[in-house]
Amino acid sequence: MTLSSAARAAALALALAATAAAAATLSPGRQAVVAALGAGDAAAGKAFFFARHTGGKADTPACTACHTTDLTKAGQTKAGKAIDPMAASRAPDRFSDLATVEKWFRRNCTDVLGRECTKSEKANVIAYLLSI
Amino acid sequence: MADATHIDITLTDDATRAPRVRVWDRFVRLFHWSLAASVAIALATGFVGGPRLLVAHLVAGVLAAALVVARLAWGFLGPRHARFADFVVGPGATIAHLRAALAGRPSHHLGHNPLGGAMVVALMLAVAALSLTGAVALGGALKEGPLAATITFATGRAAREAHEWIAFALIGLISLHLAGVVLESLRTSENLAAAMITGDKRARGATAPAIAARPTLAVLVVVAICAVATQLTLAGMRRPALGVPTAPLDASYARECGACHAAPSPAIASSKTWRRVMAGLDDHYGDNASLDADTARALSQYLDANAAERWDTQVSRRVGAASVGEDLRVTRTRAWTRLHEDIAPATFAAKPVGGAINCAACHRDAATGRFSVFAIDIPHERTAP
Repeated sequence: MTLSSAARAAALALALAATAAAAATLSPGRQAVVAALGAGDAAAGKAFFFARHTGGKADTPACTACHTTDLTKAGQTKAGKAIDPMAASRAPDRFSDLATVEKWFRRNCTDVLGRECTKSEKANVIAYLLSI
Repeated sequence: MADATHIDITLTDDATRAPRVRVWDRFVRLFHWSLAASVAIALATGFVGGPRLLVAHLVAGVLAAALVVARLAWGFLGPRHARFADFVVGPGATIAHLRAALAGRPSHHLGHNPLGGAMVVALMLAVAALSLTGAVALGGALKEGPLAATITFATGRAAREAHEWIAFALIGLISLHLAGVVLESLRTSENLAAAMITGDKRARGATAPAIAARPTLAVLVVVAICAVATQLTLAGMRRPALGVPTAPLDASYARECGACHAAPSPAIASSKTWRRVMAGLDDHYGDNASLDADTARALSQYLDANAAERWDTQVSRRVGAASVGEDLRVTRTRAWTRLHEDIAPATFAAKPVGGAINCAACHRDAATGRFSVFAIDIPHERTAP
C-alpha cells in the first residue's frame, strides 16, 4: 500500500465516518433515503453538482442552471417558479421521500446529462446536499 | 263662425301668443333624461366593452330597464299626456298622419303625435329587449346574474349577438327620434327639446280635458314590481351556476404540475389536449416532467373528468374547445388571444405574472377554473422611482 493510497483510504474512511455521524442526526425520512441510495461521497457530489455536463439539453448544462450556485437560496424553474433551496439545512422537507428524490433525479439527470444518474452519483449528490 | 276662424288663424300665424300649458309632467321629464343618460352610458360601455366597464354597463342597463318599468306604470296611471291612450294609435292612424305630414298638412297634437308615439313604443321595446337579451347573455355566456343557473353558453352567446344587433337598432331609432324632434321643432317653430325640460308647450287648438294622475298607486306598482324582480334576481343568483367548476385543484395535480409552473385548471383545455400533454411528459416543453405510472394514471383521470368539455363556461367553451397547435398551448389559440387582446405583452412579462401560463396572477378564481369576469385583477408592475 503506497502512501497516497493509504491517504486516500484514510480520507474515504473519514468521509464514511462523517456521513455516518451525519446520518445519526437525520430525520427518519432522510435516513430511509440514504439507506436506499447507499452512503455517498459529499465532495464528489459537490463536484458533480457544479460540473458542466454534456449530453443533456443546451439550456441546462448543469444542475446550477436552475438551482443556481448558492444552494442556500431559492432557484427558479424555466417556467419561472421558485425552487426551494437545495441545502438540506434550508429545506427541512427535502430528501425525506425516496419516490420524490428518484422522480427529480430521473427528470433532471435526463435534462442535464441526457441519461439517468447512477446510484452512486445520486448517493454522492444527496450526501453533499445533506452536508450543507 | 267668423270668430272661430279668426282664432284659428291667430293660433297658427302668431303662435307665440298662444298660452303655454303643462304637457310633460315632472316624472315624464325625469324619465326621459334619465333614460337618455342611462342608455348613452350603456351604449358607450357596451360598445367599448371589456370586463372593466361591465359593471357600469350592467348598472346603466338595469337602471334603463327599471325606468321603462316605471314608465309603463305611468303610461296607465299618469296624467293625460303621459298615458299610452293619449299617443299610442293604430298603424292606420300613424300612416294617415305620415301621409298628411308629407303632404304638408300635418295634424296638431299637444302631446306626442302618432309618429312620436310610435317612437316611444319602439324605444321602450328596444330597451326592454336589450335588458332581456343582456340578462340572458350575462347568465349564459358569463355565468353571472339571475340566469346563470339556467342559461347555456350557446344560448347566452346567441343572446349576446342579438343584444348587439338590437343595440344597433336602438342607435338607429335614437337617430330617427332626434331627426324627428329637429324637424318637428322647425316645422312648428317650437323647441321640443326645451319642452321636455320645462314641460310646457304652446296650446294648440282645443285642449283635451285633463286626466288626473295616480302617483301613489303608480309608486306602489313600481315598488312592487321592482321588489319582486330583485327577489327573483337574488334567488337566481343564489343557485349554483350551470356547468361552472367550483372545486379547488386536486392536491396531487397542484403539487406535481405546480412544482415547475403555475398549475392551470383542467377546465382550460379539452380532454384530447390533456391526453396529449400526459403522453408527452418526457419532453414537456423541453423538460423531462415524467411521472411514475400510478401518479400519471391518477392525474390523467382527474384531467379527463374535469376537462373543458365537462363545463359550460366561456373559458371552457371557447378556449377549451379551440383547436390547439402542435405545442398544445391554449395561450396560443385564437380564442385565448382574442379574450386577452387588450392586455399588453409587458403585463404578461411583468414579474408578478411571469408568463401567460400564470392564470392566477390576474384571475382570482383561476384555481377553480371558473374564470368569472368579476374576478379579474391585473397587477400593475411597479416602475422603479
